[in-house]
Amino acid sequence: MPKIEVNEKAFFSLIGKKLDEDELIRILPGAKAELDDWDESEGILKIELNDTNRPDLWSTAGLARQVKILLGCGLPVYDFFSMKEDMKETGDRIIKVDPNLKDIRPYIAAFAAKGKPIEESFLIDIIQTQEKICGNYGQKRKSIAMGVYRADMIQYPVSYCAADPVKTSFVPLGFQRRMNLREILTDHPKGVEFGWIVHQFEKFPFLKDAKDDVLSFPPIINSATLGALEPGDSFLFIELTGIYIDTLLLAASIVACDFADFGYDILPVLVSYPYDTLYGREIPTPFYFQKNISLEVSFGAKLLGETITPDEAAASIAKAGNQVTTEKNTVILSPPPYRNDFLHPVDIVEEIMIGRGMDSFIPEMPGDYTIGRLSRAEVFSREVRDIMVGLGFTEMIYNYLGSRSDFIEKMNVPDSGFIHIQNPMTENYAMVRKSILPNLLASESVSANAVYPHKIFETGKVAFIDPAENYGSITKNYCAFLEANKDAGFNDMNAYVSAFFFYLSKTYLLKETEDPRFIPGRTALIYYTDQLVGILGEFHPSVLENWGIQMPCAGVEIDLDILLKAEGV
Amino acid sequence: MEKESIIKGLHPLEIKVLLQFTRGEKLTNELLMDTLSFNLGQCNQVFSWLSQKALIKESQREKHVFLEITELGEEYHKAGTPEECMIRLLEKEGPLTLPDIAKKMGIENKDAGSAFGSLSKEGVLLMDKEKRVCIGDCSGNKKMDVLKDLIASVSDQGQVLLDSLTEEQKGIVLQHSKKRGSAAGIFKIAEREKISYSITDDGVSAGKALKERGITGEEIGILTPEILARGEWKTKGFRGYNINVPPSRVLLGRKNPYVNFLVDLKDKLISLGFEEFEGPLVETEFWNSDALFMPQFHSARDIHDVFYITEPQYAKEIENPYLDHVAKTHENGWETGSRGWNYSFDRNFTKRLILRSQGTVLSAKTLTKAKIPGKYFGVVRCFRPDTVDATHAADFYQIEGIVLGEHVHLKNLLGLLKVFAVEVAGSKEVKYVPAYFPFTEPSVEVHIKHDVLGWFELGGSGIFRPEVTKPLGINVPVLAWGLGIDRMALLSLGLNDLRDLFTSDIEQVRLRKRRNSYAEN
Repeated sequence: MPKIEVNEKAFFSLIGKKLDEDELIRILPGAKAELDDWDESEGILKIELNDTNRPDLWSTAGLARQVKILLGCGLPVYDFFSMKEDMKETGDRIIKVDPNLKDIRPYIAAFAAKGKPIEESFLIDIIQTQEKICGNYGQKRKSIAMGVYRADMIQYPVSYCAADPVKTSFVPLGFQRRMNLREILTDHPKGVEFGWIVHQFEKFPFLKDAKDDVLSFPPIINSATLGALEPGDSFLFIELTGIYIDTLLLAASIVACDFADFGYDILPVLVSYPYDTLYGREIPTPFYFQKNISLEVSFGAKLLGETITPDEAAASIAKAGNQVTTEKNTVILSPPPYRNDFLHPVDIVEEIMIGRGMDSFIPEMPGDYTIGRLSRAEVFSREVRDIMVGLGFTEMIYNYLGSRSDFIEKMNVPDSGFIHIQNPMTENYAMVRKSILPNLLASESVSANAVYPHKIFETGKVAFIDPAENYGSITKNYCAFLEANKDAGFNDMNAYVSAFFFYLSKTYLLKETEDPRFIPGRTALIYYTDQLVGILGEFHPSVLENWGIQMPCAGVEIDLDILLKAEGV
Repeated sequence: MEKESIIKGLHPLEIKVLLQFTRGEKLTNELLMDTLSFNLGQCNQVFSWLSQKALIKESQREKHVFLEITELGEEYHKAGTPEECMIRLLEKEGPLTLPDIAKKMGIENKDAGSAFGSLSKEGVLLMDKEKRVCIGDCSGNKKMDVLKDLIASVSDQGQVLLDSLTEEQKGIVLQHSKKRGSAAGIFKIAEREKISYSITDDGVSAGKALKERGITGEEIGILTPEILARGEWKTKGFRGYNINVPPSRVLLGRKNPYVNFLVDLKDKLISLGFEEFEGPLVETEFWNSDALFMPQFHSARDIHDVFYITEPQYAKEIENPYLDHVAKTHENGWETGSRGWNYSFDRNFTKRLILRSQGTVLSAKTLTKAKIPGKYFGVVRCFRPDTVDATHAADFYQIEGIVLGEHVHLKNLLGLLKVFAVEVAGSKEVKYVPAYFPFTEPSVEVHIKHDVLGWFELGGSGIFRPEVTKPLGINVPVLAWGLGIDRMALLSLGLNDLRDLFTSDIEQVRLRKRRNSYAEN
């Protein structure tokens, strides 16, 4: 969930009036936003946005726009968008795209913004927009990167080209010296952070003007000349590059609307591709690419559980901030230029819900009669828990993830059959347990000060490699128990196993075995009919020593799934 | 009142002392041994108890030298001294050489030699011409008898005043005492304090009270099967117990309070007509995210949001037609009425094996075999790469469920959420706000007002998108919901750190209690 900081003064000035905290808390849910904090001394609102598909709300201007709409101030009008049948005049503002970019970073969108000298608070907001839109929505700049430049220094046409990373060099922002593009990837902090996006290509994206002055090395870093923005600049050039055309065009539209809301004139730029795109080879940007979407009102009404007429639906949709028309029983929505989250008619249903207000829906229980039922594994596990408690054992519940040290090294067992995590955060959560016994011993190792005897158990899941399975592994329900005491040993444990099976109305057989976890001659496999269902033994002193345990321990582990299966269906 | 409870709590040994003696008498170990046949341990015990209750007080403390028995002495007391054993052996087997004697008695040659030495000095044993030992004049055996008697009396009494011995006894004692630093002797001589006590006024009145009530100290203490068999209880009274003695601790088997919390949740959901679902810990990207219509390039599908399995990396296959339907839905919407995400679906990546990161994975899988109408839920262990601290877990439970029905709608969803708020969280105030989840539309969060926690988000919910349900063969609306139960679990267990829910500490689990588990609604 993105969190943004909103400049209070700019925010309320955009809305046109100051709201108090209560009003804000009431109105923000309509934008799926929450007020986290209001730092009045700094004049900063901290706001959390919950809709990851509405990047238009992740800026001061964008959020103010939605609040204004929800307050009933009508829809904003932006006249700078080109459409297929309505291309706006771009003059000499042209970007020529190099054919070699097609497989590297194929798309670019740009516009110029002219107006008042830029204020520091707006500059901070632009940087935040860049972080949120490019970092979060744009997959850490992979699918969207953005640069802002001093427009009066740029001579058109700008060329977006694929440059040789070694032969091409310039002075990047934040540095004093010329560096080639490869050097920037290794020596510039932004190159280190974002180099992964381009490093595998033979040529890198590069942006320069007609004088060969460098704008930037997208998506990494601006130049220190054209790309060094300062408060007081009043004529800006904004470009965005990316790999998905819709995502890129949307991001450019959002940024353009933000600038327009802050009072800037938006001057479109024509992007000229040498290859086909979804919207042709010549695309003036900002470009309105969204398509109308329609909803049969009765379908929406059924989903909402209300009787709704097309006109009522249209009114609610408009109230939530959309252009809408009706046609018989259908409403047709034209998405705002800064939104592209209408994938399915159900997305219109949510606009109706928001437009009507949550309070208008009276909760009602579903009318269908259904029978509740526990899973068979849960019913069986409850029976087992009752038996174990009756035998005097205390139930434990453990994490299923653990460390190599606990699951393998301390247990004297080989690393075989374990499910390892490829990207663990810490070694403490690095693999899935295939036995509960290490958890029980871990308890023992931290509980030497608890009065003895210790009798503990868990019924829970384990998982391990099984090549026969589609997933290559299997999850099972196990029960394991352990006794730690001066005279804990095989015979007492066998008595518990005997009671365990007796009360499950089952019989079992023991077969002597050797297992590195247990003392030889005091270890047995437990069989139910001819199936191996568990193990019973006195823990080997070397295992106890590994765990730092000073008390004899004996343990049992039983596969509940096999016993459950034997219960029949 | 206090006196009353003291009298009721008296042990039979204390009763006997208080009845037997009165003011002015000097109470000592010896006196109690003589008059009441107590042993030394009982004397010490009764003096200690009565002093604590201030029924007697210490009147005199003097140092005395005592004779005490050693472990070796106790052995001799049981089995006889080597001298006695040697005589018995010779009486039985006739003359023997010293090495033979040592061998048969299982002692060292030199010990056999010294026993022979002391006996031959008295003329009890002789050495014949063949160097065999034989019995001589047994009248000289007196010294041995003195030793034997002395061992017996010291062993019985525990200690004997050295000054009370005869000169002859003293001589023998010195010969057999353990000297500092030497190996075993029969006796040891120790300087000990000898304490005498006198009965206090309270002791005297307690004695009187005991007499008045006819308490003798012979009352029945622990009732035994023998007493029942002999019928003794018919003629004897019972000793009253001090009911204020702190009870000893009982170690019991018990269920884990956190598991019980989860069990109660399951029972609540069963009572609302939900059927439980389960599934494996290891899942595929397909079920964990793709089937939920989360695009493969979605920002929440990063390496940082899900645990990948090292080996094997891919499932063998994803069930069709689900794979085809889901892939096409991502690409162009397929037959769902959606325009899709407009990208090329990666059919290899979708097989990538991971640890399930959300319970909704099982809701999606359940759709493929669900009844209509139907209600399903699961208490699902999930895993996420998160930095673990008091409020973040990498290994945790989610509660998720779905409701399928021809006619279910948003207001039913709100109704269910309200029931959860009341039945599960015990809250009466509920607030709904629009939310966003990639797999539901519309989406709603439910916030509840809790007595202790105040307003907080109880869960997220919505109606599954047709892009989720149709590819899995479901053509009716499906309400989906998930509850965040961690905060309620912590509150219910009186904890404030998520890590404590899965504690390894046995004592914590033994002592942990649940609150509000049977509160009225």
